[in-house]
Amino acid sequence: MEQMYGIGLYAVSLLTFGGIYAVMALGLNVQWGFTGMFNAGIAGFFAIGAYTSAMLTTAFSERHLGGLDLPIVIGMIAAMIAAGIIAWGVAKICIRLRSDYLAIATLGIAEILRLILKNETWATNGPRGVSLVPKPFETWPEPWNQLAFMALVLVIVFGLYILLERARKAPWGRVMAASRENEPATRAAGKNVDRLRIEAFVLGAMFMGLGGALMAHYLKFIDPNAADPLIATFLIWVMLIVGGSANNKGAILGAILIWTIWSATELLTSRLPDEFAIRTAYVRVFLIGLLLQIVLQRFPNGILPEKREKALAAERERHSQT
Amino acid sequence: MTNSIKRLTLAASALALMAGSAQAADINVGSVAGVTGPIAELVAPIVAGRNLAGEHVNAQGGLLDGDTYNLVLSDSQCDPKAGVDAGTKVVNVEQVVAIIGASCSGATNGMVQSVTIPAGVVALSDSATAPSITELEDNDLVFRVAPSDAYQGLAIAQLAIDQGYKKLAMTYSNDDYNAGIATVFEQAFQDLGGEITANQAHEPNKASYRSEISTLAGGDAEGLAIFAYYGGSGITIIRNSLENGLFDKFMAADGMFDASVIEQIGADTLRGNIFITQSASDYADDSYKAFAEAFEATGNDPVAPYAAHGYDASFLLALAIEKAGAADRGAISAALREVAGPSGTVIRPGEWEKAKAAIAAGEDINYEGASGNVDFDEAGDVGGIYSVNTVGDDGSWATNLIQ
Repeated sequence: MEQMYGIGLYAVSLLTFGGIYAVMALGLNVQWGFTGMFNAGIAGFFAIGAYTSAMLTTAFSERHLGGLDLPIVIGMIAAMIAAGIIAWGVAKICIRLRSDYLAIATLGIAEILRLILKNETWATNGPRGVSLVPKPFETWPEPWNQLAFMALVLVIVFGLYILLERARKAPWGRVMAASRENEPATRAAGKNVDRLRIEAFVLGAMFMGLGGALMAHYLKFIDPNAADPLIATFLIWVMLIVGGSANNKGAILGAILIWTIWSATELLTSRLPDEFAIRTAYVRVFLIGLLLQIVLQRFPNGILPEKREKALAAERERHSQT
Repeated sequence: MTNSIKRLTLAASALALMAGSAQAADINVGSVAGVTGPIAELVAPIVAGRNLAGEHVNAQGGLLDGDTYNLVLSDSQCDPKAGVDAGTKVVNVEQVVAIIGASCSGATNGMVQSVTIPAGVVALSDSATAPSITELEDNDLVFRVAPSDAYQGLAIAQLAIDQGYKKLAMTYSNDDYNAGIATVFEQAFQDLGGEITANQAHEPNKASYRSEISTLAGGDAEGLAIFAYYGGSGITIIRNSLENGLFDKFMAADGMFDASVIEQIGADTLRGNIFITQSASDYADDSYKAFAEAFEATGNDPVAPYAAHGYDASFLLALAIEKAGAADRGAISAALREVAGPSGTVIRPGEWEKAKAAIAAGEDINYEGASGNVDFDEAGDVGGIYSVNTVGDDGSWATNLIQ
């Protein structure tokens, strides 16, 4: 009975972490899936969102700036705004860059942001991080506090999913797909592709900032290590590619699946005798790369490929009926 | 192909989970450590120390009615996210009674605040030294056998003043441990009347630090205080300083303590020119000697940083479970305080049978560990004993306790 309760709580934590990563994967989906922009700087927006929310919602501390003790909701909104502003600045400069160049630029920016957060010790307490971040529902008894937080995350994921599905089917989403597939034709049709790209970049970054804020509140602690490129950028890319780019359900599925594999493989490796236990910890990292290769062999477009609305066919139907 | 992979994975997981819950005579204690990540080489001996205590317990009668003391390893990667994930796994899936860990202060902060305090599980860290952990509202669930940085920084500063240094330059590796101890050192050295001529952080794992050291050498400092891990940047800094004739006297904290420093720089160059403090045991103490003998027999070096602390943490939790009389999470905190001292029959590392008998007879016991007397204060912290290490005549580290 105890064991089932424990496994239940573990499943709750898997869904919570998976949900937070799903929020970021959805953000990446707007940038890469819809619009075809290769953003290798997810970690930077994640960190900005996390630090903004953490610093605004903690109580006063002489270790870092902020400490305004604001409600958590304000913290999350501020995180989205801060990430959005930085993304707008980045986008204005970099928007004309193509795939690999955009990747290099965004990667550099993420590292700059991480190093600023790490070195401006007067503002962020540097590598020692911001601690005692409040968590929603933390005064509730176990297991309700964990369940409530998970519910919050899943509600946010669901809300973003509905929003993005509507956006995808709307003219906005269709013109994004058009600019991704054939940019000269879209420009020739008179669409302002640059402005659309900036919108997509900023929107995606705002979701990543929200994901960062949620993570900061969940862990109750944030430090520059959280913006480490392996965990915060690469892993999310794997989630989106495996789940299916340009498919919102795929982003969510990929996030929860990859996180579960990442976390649960340790349950298996920790049962090995001690001499192997330490070495197999490294094998887990290798496993994710291997998994990516295997999945891409079988599902080149990810597990759930892109759904294209049959807009043209619907138009033809209507015309043929008149 | 996917179907068979699916089936294989399901079968493997089912087996693994079943194998875990089938052994009813195991008492699980979580061993959360930064197995992969920036301090992996420092963590390996610490985990070995923890496991050695487990072996001693199981060889001398086991826990309670002959149950096996089972340490479940989980990787916290020195990162708060992974720390929370590791903590969740051991608390919920492995159903541990208590946790030893985590290794890094950041991972510990995340794990205890997000998982163990809400779940009511005791966490006893053997190497997290950040002062911020003392201030947590923890319902008396967070303990440490590693003294807070607040003490070691003070010890080094005092040592520097005693050695006659008035002006020092300092540099620290930009991570949570070294930045923490550097801040304490700077404040303490200035309070004791010294002057810091230059203070700069550096990023670890660079190939050369010549530019940082040139900046630091600008003032007229008598020596360089280095707060870094030897593998990450410490050895490179010493080498660059000597090559360019910028500094020849050094002092450092325990992240730098390793034989490879002497091997790579040279005993003759360093003799008389470097001292390194370490969170240490009284090497003449019987407790430490008992631990050292047993640890060396397993092929590990007993002076490895925090290895003795790992042993003590593990042994203490076993004592607490025995004292509590049952594998009950709620009783561990009080039992831990009782077995740690300060009064009662003295128990040393390796004396599990004696401890079992004493507890069964209803006596009070006081565990005197390999890392110190491990008497907890109200916040669950311990005081610090430090040693100063200098290069001996035979080209290895000579250790003396700081009184």
